[in-house]
Amino acid sequence: MLLQLNNIFKWVTTGGQRIFLLKDINLEVEEGEFISIMGPSGSGKSTLLNVIGMLDTFDEGEYNFMDESVHSLKEKHRSNLYKQYIGFVFQSYHLLDELTVKENLEMPLIYKKIKGSERKAMVADMLDRFNIVGKKDLFPAQLSGGQQQLVGVARALIASPKLILADEPTGNLNSKQGEEIMELFKQLNEEGVTIIQVTHSEKNAEYGSRIINLLDGRMV
Amino acid sequence: MLKNYLKIALRYLLKNKLYSIINIFGLAVGIASFVLIMLYVNYEKSYDTFEGSENVYRIYMDYLEGDTYVPGDAMTYNSSGPALKEMFPEVLDYVRFYYFEKLAFKVGEKILEQPLGSLADPSYFNIFNYPLSKGDSETVLTEPNSIVLSKSFAEKLFGNENPLRRTISVFEDGKETQLTVTGIMEDVPETAHYRNSFLISYETEKTLTDFGPTAHELNWNMNNYYTYLKLAPNTNIDVLRQKIIDSDIEKSETERHNIEPIEDIHLYSDKPYEVTANGSVLRIKFLTAIAFIILVLSWLNYVNLSTTKSMERAKEAGIRKVAGAKKSQLIVQSLMESLLLNFIAIAIALSIVFGVLPFYTNIIGNELNLDWGFIVSFIPYFIFIIGGVILAGLYPALLLSRYSPAKALKGKVRASTEGIGLRKGLIVTQFFATIVLLTGTFIISKQINFLDNQPIGADVGQIIALHGTVVSTQSDSLVNNDFRVLKEQLEDFPFIEKTAIAQTYPGDSFDNLSSSRGIWLPDGRSDKANIFYTYHAQPDYFDLMDIEFLAGGTFVLNSKFEGNQIVVNETFLKTVGISSPEDLLNKTVSFWGNNEWKVVGIIKDYYHFGLKTPVLPTIVRYQDDISNLLVKIDKSSISIAGLETALSQIENKWHEIFPQSTFNYTFLDEKFEAQYEQDKAFGKAFQIFTVLSILIASLGLFGLTAYTVVLRKKEIGIRKVNGATITQVLTLLNKDFVKLLGLAFIIAIPSSWYVMNQWLEGFTYRTNFSWWIFALAGTTALLITFLTVSWQSFKAAIANPVESLKDE
Repeated sequence: MLLQLNNIFKWVTTGGQRIFLLKDINLEVEEGEFISIMGPSGSGKSTLLNVIGMLDTFDEGEYNFMDESVHSLKEKHRSNLYKQYIGFVFQSYHLLDELTVKENLEMPLIYKKIKGSERKAMVADMLDRFNIVGKKDLFPAQLSGGQQQLVGVARALIASPKLILADEPTGNLNSKQGEEIMELFKQLNEEGVTIIQVTHSEKNAEYGSRIINLLDGRMV
Repeated sequence: MLKNYLKIALRYLLKNKLYSIINIFGLAVGIASFVLIMLYVNYEKSYDTFEGSENVYRIYMDYLEGDTYVPGDAMTYNSSGPALKEMFPEVLDYVRFYYFEKLAFKVGEKILEQPLGSLADPSYFNIFNYPLSKGDSETVLTEPNSIVLSKSFAEKLFGNENPLRRTISVFEDGKETQLTVTGIMEDVPETAHYRNSFLISYETEKTLTDFGPTAHELNWNMNNYYTYLKLAPNTNIDVLRQKIIDSDIEKSETERHNIEPIEDIHLYSDKPYEVTANGSVLRIKFLTAIAFIILVLSWLNYVNLSTTKSMERAKEAGIRKVAGAKKSQLIVQSLMESLLLNFIAIAIALSIVFGVLPFYTNIIGNELNLDWGFIVSFIPYFIFIIGGVILAGLYPALLLSRYSPAKALKGKVRASTEGIGLRKGLIVTQFFATIVLLTGTFIISKQINFLDNQPIGADVGQIIALHGTVVSTQSDSLVNNDFRVLKEQLEDFPFIEKTAIAQTYPGDSFDNLSSSRGIWLPDGRSDKANIFYTYHAQPDYFDLMDIEFLAGGTFVLNSKFEGNQIVVNETFLKTVGISSPEDLLNKTVSFWGNNEWKVVGIIKDYYHFGLKTPVLPTIVRYQDDISNLLVKIDKSSISIAGLETALSQIENKWHEIFPQSTFNYTFLDEKFEAQYEQDKAFGKAFQIFTVLSILIASLGLFGLTAYTVVLRKKEIGIRKVNGATITQVLTLLNKDFVKLLGLAFIIAIPSSWYVMNQWLEGFTYRTNFSWWIFALAGTTALLITFLTVSWQSFKAAIANPVESLKDE
């Protein structure tokens, strides 16, 4: 088992009242799964994804990731954990505008203290694999949305994570570009990468092996 | 990784050009100003530092005024040094100087006047660690009639010839004395308060000067000597000072001996009879304060701008965190950026410094030598700059690294919430500094204006003082007579309106006044407590100087009191407690032994030493003299170009009568003005650096508004769609700044009042603080703020709201 959420609650207090963002979430994810999280706006999809990605905390419950109990880990260990095993893909790509494609790909490797020569090889590999060698010296603003997201996915993959978390990865793309990204995900999943995506689109959700529906912070 | 950081930092700077330029320019100007000011401050502080200078002290006299002792005279008696050395084992050695403002020298047929030299004890080279390039420092000054020349003076006299063992003549009091050159010393550094260009052995005093037979023996009568002591290392100065005071070596009721470190003389000592006009520690303190204000202002700017900017970069920080960046890595990266930016700024600052240095030395009137020792003494400031740079970079870095990535990626971090209190504080500080500096500038120019325009009670305009050393074997009275003949012949020139002969004139130094104590008044009283200052002049002096008489008139020739006539000033009357001039007029007073001096006139007070020194109780005596021949030029008959010709005509006439003599001239108004020269230079510097500070603050404000406007673009759009007018939007954007300015103004009033009063107190006669100065400073600051802010806010206010409301 890759990860397990038990009775996860998350809330904010406004005017003395608790508003639940996540309510009693129980979820088990096996390695190799491709899960789609669906639900209307404000139902807690992104929050759940952030909790899984350890970018956000929760108030109650237990979270085990690869036999580590995340809820009892210190911030530092937690970030080490996600750095090592999780890759993120965002709706608005979140590439660094000041960096070229190559440099954007290289960035996570720098933070992992991987040697320069090795970094180069890994970046070259990734550029090759995603067919974007010709774009390596361009800046994000010079790419189309689909190409940017391609780089985003490549960046998420470069450190060979076990899990990819994607928050509406096709939300800013046209349908053809979206389809390409989803095909890519499917292929990655077949290669053994676990994927959890948040999506609005029924069609995209179909790519996954399991669909989780959220409403008002609850799984339904 | 470092390379990577640098590359990104550079790209970031290039991409955000406005931000980079404002930041770099502001920092560069701030650092350059700081370095320039501190160069000068360091220069002033480096006075009289040489090997062993920390153990060298000057003896000076405290005078009793009322119940308290005040520093009264930088000079001491010829007994002072020997007595202290004998009495206190801490005093290892002493050196006495008898000072010559200038002396005339003759080598062959060449006559040369050289300023600033002394008779000095042989111990000179033991105490002042200035190198001797030729001669033996133990013996150069032991024999009578020996002279040591400074290198540059020796070159002037002998060119490239070897000056050692050469004989030169020197003229003092009309007497010629032969001296032998025994040594050549390196020129005394500019940063010395006592810059001797020649030293004559102390033993020569008997033959060189004409003080009467007993004057050369040790005595407590004539305090005309500067005395410096070499103390044993680690002497407790306070203890020694108290012992000196308690010992009362002179056995006097009205004065006592005191000591001061030589290193402090230039900045802290402003006594009567200083060797040269000294610097002022107050000015140095003010300048140091401005230097730090300006530097800190530029850092505040930087912190403010980069903090605001860091909100914009929250997303980037978030992405990096998600990609695995540690907090420390983000901090290092952000610091790298600020270091890069600051080092560019420092590089630009240094090129500014070297670029403006020539002009700068012009303004401050000093030559700054950037030698190695000087650079070493500057290291602490560089450490300060670097430390500040790191601190300034640290805050935005910490802020940036703190954001939670989930929030940052959703764009939930907004400038409106993070660090708003701090930024407001920074802006208030900037406004505060701006207003204080503006107030300072206004009050300084008001005071300088006051100095320039306050009537001084005498007219120094169009007057030239002619002086020179007359080399003549004739008796004094014949020389004096020749001088009068010259005066009469000069009056024949059509361009000369009036002439007079006097020992000194308004604006001249203390040296040409004698000070003494003890006077017996016509009503039988005597005053032994106060010091009176005397100089001598001839009858037409008062008319030429346009000094008014309260009673009586000038000296009358051919009366039986001819030699014993005096004129006193108003302050003299007040000092001795006589209320009506008539009570003293035509009566006799006694001083200087039993002489009977007849008071023929009482003059209105005039400011002999300018407005920085109080009017002193003064007695003007009638006496023949050849110190200065004062001529008043007739404005109407001469053009500026004609002045040159006139002066050469005067010089020819002078040499006709005194063929063997030097000739010099001084414009009285220039010399009088020169007393304020340092204050004016300070005022100018203050003005320049105020403008620069304001420029820096404005730049920061400009940059800040630019970002505020960007961040509030959507809000402005919504307001406009809902009917807000341009004026309303402008008000909305500007009112925050005005509020902060108001707050700064309230704090600035008492602070600047307090600080500038300190400065004004350095002047005996000063202008007053008017309310309009604050009003003017406040209005100026408001105006500058409006101009800076409105450019940006106006652009935002007129923008089409549709643009800003389009979805991102």
